[in-house]
Amino acid sequence: MTSFIIRRLALSAVLLFIISIISFFIVTLTPGSPYPWGELNPKISAEVKANFRKKFHLDRPLHEQYALIMRDLFTGNLRSIKDDRPVMSRILERLPATVALNLTSIVISLSFGTLLGVTAARYSGHWQDALSSFIAFLFIALPGFWITYMVVIALVKGFGVPILGTNSYGIEFPNGLASGLDTLWHLLLPATILALGGIASQSRYLRATMIESLREDYIRTARSKGLAEEVVLYKHALRNSIRPIIAGIGMVLPALIGGAVVIETIFAYPAMGRLGYEAVLERDYPTLVALNFVVAALVLLGNLISDLLSAAVDPRVRLE
Amino acid sequence: MLGITTSQSETPVSKSSGSRVLRRFRSNPVAIASVVVILIFAFTAGGTFLLSATGHDWPSNPNFTNLELKLLPPSSQHWLGTDNLGRDVLSRMLHGASISLTVGLIAVAVSLGIGMVVGAIAGYFGGIIDQILMRAVDALLCFPTFFLILTVVALLGPSLLNIVIVIGLVSWTGTARLVRSEFLTLRETEYVKGARVLGQNAWHIITRHILPNAAAPILVTAVLGIPDAILSEAGLSFLGFGVQPPQATWGNIIADGKTYLLDAWWLNLFPGLAILIASLSFYLAGDALREAAESRS
Amino acid sequence: MRSIRLFLYGIPMTLLVLLVAAFVNASFLSVAKKNEMSIGIIGEPSTLNPIQQADSASGQVAGLMFNGLLKYNQDIEMVGDLATTWDLSQETTFQFGSEEEATKALSLLNVKRASNSRSITTIARDGKNLTLTLSQPGLTDSENIAHILTATGLHPLPFPPLEKGGKERLFKAEPIIRFTLRKDVRWHDGAPFTSADVAFTYHAIMDERVASPRSSDFELVSSLETPDPYSVLVRYKKPFSPALLSWMQSILPSHLLEKVEPAKWSEIYNRHPVGTGPFKFGNWKTNEFIRLIKNPDYFRGSPWLDSVVFRVLPDPLTLQLAFQTKQVDFWAVDPWAVKSFEKDKRFDLFSSAGNMYNYIGWNLRRPMFQDLRVRKALAEAINIPQMIKYIIYGHGVQSNGIFTPKMWFYDPKVQPLPYDPKAAAALLDEAGWKPGPDGIRMKDGKRLSFTLLANNGNEVRRDIATLVQDDLKKIGVEVKVEIYEWSVLLKRFVNKGEFDAIVLGWGLGNDFDQYAIWHSSQTHPEELNFVGYNNPEVDHLLTDLRQEYSRPEIIRLAANLQQRIYENQPYTFLFVPEGTSVMWKNTYRIRRPGSKPGEWIDSPVTMTKAGWDYDMEWFYRPEYPPGAKR
Repeated sequence: MTSFIIRRLALSAVLLFIISIISFFIVTLTPGSPYPWGELNPKISAEVKANFRKKFHLDRPLHEQYALIMRDLFTGNLRSIKDDRPVMSRILERLPATVALNLTSIVISLSFGTLLGVTAARYSGHWQDALSSFIAFLFIALPGFWITYMVVIALVKGFGVPILGTNSYGIEFPNGLASGLDTLWHLLLPATILALGGIASQSRYLRATMIESLREDYIRTARSKGLAEEVVLYKHALRNSIRPIIAGIGMVLPALIGGAVVIETIFAYPAMGRLGYEAVLERDYPTLVALNFVVAALVLLGNLISDLLSAAVDPRVRLE
Repeated sequence: MLGITTSQSETPVSKSSGSRVLRRFRSNPVAIASVVVILIFAFTAGGTFLLSATGHDWPSNPNFTNLELKLLPPSSQHWLGTDNLGRDVLSRMLHGASISLTVGLIAVAVSLGIGMVVGAIAGYFGGIIDQILMRAVDALLCFPTFFLILTVVALLGPSLLNIVIVIGLVSWTGTARLVRSEFLTLRETEYVKGARVLGQNAWHIITRHILPNAAAPILVTAVLGIPDAILSEAGLSFLGFGVQPPQATWGNIIADGKTYLLDAWWLNLFPGLAILIASLSFYLAGDALREAAESRS
Repeated sequence: MRSIRLFLYGIPMTLLVLLVAAFVNASFLSVAKKNEMSIGIIGEPSTLNPIQQADSASGQVAGLMFNGLLKYNQDIEMVGDLATTWDLSQETTFQFGSEEEATKALSLLNVKRASNSRSITTIARDGKNLTLTLSQPGLTDSENIAHILTATGLHPLPFPPLEKGGKERLFKAEPIIRFTLRKDVRWHDGAPFTSADVAFTYHAIMDERVASPRSSDFELVSSLETPDPYSVLVRYKKPFSPALLSWMQSILPSHLLEKVEPAKWSEIYNRHPVGTGPFKFGNWKTNEFIRLIKNPDYFRGSPWLDSVVFRVLPDPLTLQLAFQTKQVDFWAVDPWAVKSFEKDKRFDLFSSAGNMYNYIGWNLRRPMFQDLRVRKALAEAINIPQMIKYIIYGHGVQSNGIFTPKMWFYDPKVQPLPYDPKAAAALLDEAGWKPGPDGIRMKDGKRLSFTLLANNGNEVRRDIATLVQDDLKKIGVEVKVEIYEWSVLLKRFVNKGEFDAIVLGWGLGNDFDQYAIWHSSQTHPEELNFVGYNNPEVDHLLTDLRQEYSRPEIIRLAANLQQRIYENQPYTFLFVPEGTSVMWKNTYRIRRPGSKPGEWIDSPVTMTKAGWDYDMEWFYRPEYPPGAKR
């Protein structure tokens, strides 16, 4: 076990560096420069630009820039080109909102998706199955920005309910419950829309694997033994189907962070997706490298954890 | 949202012969309905393309700007209204259909091409090659695809071709995984082992023996990949990285109409519905296909 | 078993219940009435340090917290802010070969001064040097004096040129600005404002470690002295009239920053700055809002509002929604929506022509654009009035050159070209471009076809490009439109001067100095004369303008410049859009001091030359009338 973990960590570290190199070069090779002022500005002279370039090492060859950024990243000195603040502060201050948003979204995906998928598998071939499939595909086929706008407009214009930001601005809450519910409100809605795709894929996946396992011999044995359908369903089939889900959790993170940009923009909910989007547009290389690094690290860690969990849950899984 | 792919079943499936698959497919009413919609979609797209290539636009030229008529709600003259430059929305939507279809097909072709090659090599040869390739796939998945697309589009320029290639480039991993698992299993079957003993080379074995049996899941992946590509293109257009004016795509129309959303609702509703219905049909059809291929009746 | 079922159904149920409860809670919330102004901004400010900021959001927020030495009043005239007076003078120095020559020159000029003391205030001799103090900066007077000297056989020795490769100077002309500062100003932390702060700000701007984008404004300063805590003496290396504008620059507190190295500023200052302005920093919730609270000790008097909040709403649609639900107080209305607001009695609208104009830049290095007839034809074939009518819904005027109507040196007499496609076609025929087999004009085997670039994210420019494509097709010119991301556009095309034509706009201040855009020396990569315009007469006008301090002279030179450039059509000058802001009626009123002490003028919010939001410090909400508070 420990040797496995150590080997994996070592492999992950290597991968992490390779990823950081690739992402750095992709970003810096993109045409565009990180000047914070409008580039076509008559007031900015060539000296100012040169000075700015020197300050952020932009006048050095690319591999030197990479080395400098990496060094700064690990010594905690890495500063954003946009506002000269430590990059880690910028990432960390958005971390709680990101974790809240993504975690809630995952919880929503898993819970509703599982319900939907189990129902479909249980009543496979009947109307419940067809309906749940239809709902799942409907969710995936909805263009995200379209539905988000519709929802926001309906809420704000139709119901007059505030929805932008992490909580309603300018309200004096009569008590802690009201304030807590308000924060929850601002969190749940974007998380739900973000989760739609996840609900769909989770339910489809679960349905498929459950139907697979429901065909296994041991299920037939259980049924012939007279066990209640529900016991069969949940105790055996469902449990076996959980494995692949656990295995897949690690992969969900980058998609959520990237895919949330539109939702974060429209809901004015400040999480890391938007940070990355703005950083790309502004060519804020330090922030981008750090962000990619953090996300990649989280993904690899997530993979490791889900592999370990799989092994823990199912003794048949061997860690190579 | 940009391409949240449906998770593919990674467990290999039992093979049924083509005709049986077709029969099961035909008995599924939902499948029929979706295929009908897809056919309508395809004919509309193809028809519009042909008509305009021969100079007969119907109902009117999608690029014909008439500023006097800007932002008109749906009427008998303009069934779906006009946009901010006075162009007929219906005409633009019809043209958008052909673009969407093109995007779907080509992006899937690219993604399938790469995915199959990578998956086949990894699955067939196994061992170190497999490990390396799979780690590469993992690494690719670590990048938020959105940033990749943004960067590449910025680098290569936003032409239709480039966008389609980029979408294909970031979505091949699912296919690769699927093909790999198919190959891993099929490699161990009797006739493949036999073929190897007989000394047939890898290429021959892959193309003659393994691929035909993996055809069904690959086809399903392809069909399910089309709406993903369409949705990705719509998302890119929405963010401003889509095709150039004056070409119309569904995502384009929504993006252009974004500013007027609170008043010119038709610029958002119709293209959105079109994307929804088209994607939904492909998903349902693909799913029914998978159902038909996998069932053991 | 039961537990699994519990989870399976329980969790989704709980989530649903929570969602509904949260929704209900939210719908019963009511916004607390506060004496606060709410402004929506699309981008989040990067820093609130005025000498390091470059984006408009940062400027908007910091604008309420800081003051400069000078500012504009409602009529866009320069008045004192932290400075009470400013005196312009100049020291002109001649050097001679010998002391006798210098003495002769001295007596000669003394005679001149006696008869005409208007321009020369003092003359002094120091060894071989003769120094005159002139009451007006500029070159003309000094050149006249130089002529007088040489005419009488006295030959001053030339000074070395100021820049490498420049010309030798017959005399040194060093303008001096003397500022007298207010004595009643305090920083938000209570410390007194003195000339030391001005000196510090200047040195900080020029400090490389600060990397200030403003440093080019102060390059020509040769020295800055502070003879006493309320006087500042700035000396320049040569006459440079735009210099005065640079003193609208916000001043930083030396007592907080002088001893700290610039690398630490972002931690200890930039996100919670201390200024002298009517509002001081309250708190900043990153990416959500920045709140400023009133400065009751502001030197002009405490603002009526308790606070101002800037809410970050990155999506333009949600910004609009926020305005409509009264969560922000103003909205910059898109031209197409103006009409519906105009008709609605619940709103007040404020429109004014902006300081920006849209144009199509023709790359003059491309052979097809080198013929003036071609450029004129293209300009006359583009239906600009129609663009104004349909893209900006009539809210704008056709541009007639490099200056816009609000500028005090703008020349309304320059005639804009008419929309005349027939004349355009005739011009092209005359220039040798005749229609080819596919309808596109040709000359010497080359088709009149080019690529027009625009940046994405800007709908107006995109619409312009599409309309231009249409218009030009009608006279046989083929236009391909390509849209790129802004950075890509600049790096790949503009900065290298490699493009055919491009749709852009210039947003300018009230600055007649357009050297950077039109001078022939500014055509290198990354410089602003990216179309490659080269006109020696215009070059002269540009340099003359920079050295001219007299208002009537500036107006004359500027008119000349505007006319010349317009005639040359290096751009097709399109239009000057009008900006409109909308506010719910009666959200604010203004109570500002009158001309007599103790006198107050109460009025609704109105449009002034400087904008409707001029002097926001005097805005008040009718529910919180000023009398009660004070």
